[in-house]
Amino acid sequence: MDIISQLQEQVNTIAAITFNAFGTLQRDAPPVQLSPNYPEPPATTTVTDDATPFPEQPKQLSAGLVKAAKQFDALVAALPLSEGGEGAQLKRIAELQVENDLVGQELQKQLEAAEKELKQVQELFGQAADNCLNMKKPE
Amino acid sequence: MATATYPPPPPYYRLYKDFSENTDSAPEPPPPIEGTYVCFGGNYTTEDVLPSLEEQGVPQLYPKDSNLDYKKELRSLNRELQLHILELADVLVDRPSQYAKRIGEISSIFKNLHHLLNSLRPHQARATLIHIMELQIQQRKQAVEDIKRRREEAQGLLKDAFVTLDGQ
Repeated sequence: MDIISQLQEQVNTIAAITFNAFGTLQRDAPPVQLSPNYPEPPATTTVTDDATPFPEQPKQLSAGLVKAAKQFDALVAALPLSEGGEGAQLKRIAELQVENDLVGQELQKQLEAAEKELKQVQELFGQAADNCLNMKKPE
Repeated sequence: MATATYPPPPPYYRLYKDFSENTDSAPEPPPPIEGTYVCFGGNYTTEDVLPSLEEQGVPQLYPKDSNLDYKKELRSLNRELQLHILELADVLVDRPSQYAKRIGEISSIFKNLHHLLNSLRPHQARATLIHIMELQIQQRKQAVEDIKRRREEAQGLLKDAFVTLDGQ
């Protein structure tokens, strides 16, 4: 997978972890009194809630969220962005195209010369074979 | 009277009564849509281009600059996202009724992040093309060197053969 797709996946991972983190926070958080006008909740429930330690899952999800954010920064640092931007890239493409044409012409020239030499060698071989045949005495 | 199993065709089928004899008697189809249009509540466009954030109704959180430093903007958006997440946690504790605004801001940051990453795709395509062209040039140069070497070997063999023949 290319690095831009990895970055997109990482953004989606951060979103998913954020959603789950807030879900667990809302599930496990102790109740908060919204208004002093509301009656007090039962004392036993309050004591039980205060005595219970904070669950581990929100902590793990928060740590995962920070880790995912750091991973995103690492992927951003690893982006192979060349200097110059679009103009430099287009100029580089044009230069490569010119060089590609030149190398292609050189390759064509070499191929033609090689084919010519191959024909010469074949002619020489034919002549040599004919000479060998002519040199044999009839039985 | 018994009713039909299926409803009758729409009444405008009569407009095509003479289509087999005269193709011009039928009405013309509607012209193709140009520009933007709305389909099931979403904005679409016939131009095959990445729509800008303003066209999608999302505020743009990074500067509009052709020489944009993508890495710096991505990192700053990431930091801003983490800050907004912490702020959302605080707001849920102190002022729970104001969560919608914070969630909207977080959503905008996510959309900006994805838009920035999608904006990198043309750059990636050009870089891939450059890489392919460089590989092609390298392969052609290698082929040229191979042909030259084979030609020299062939000429060497021919020279040796001539020397041998002259020696006989």
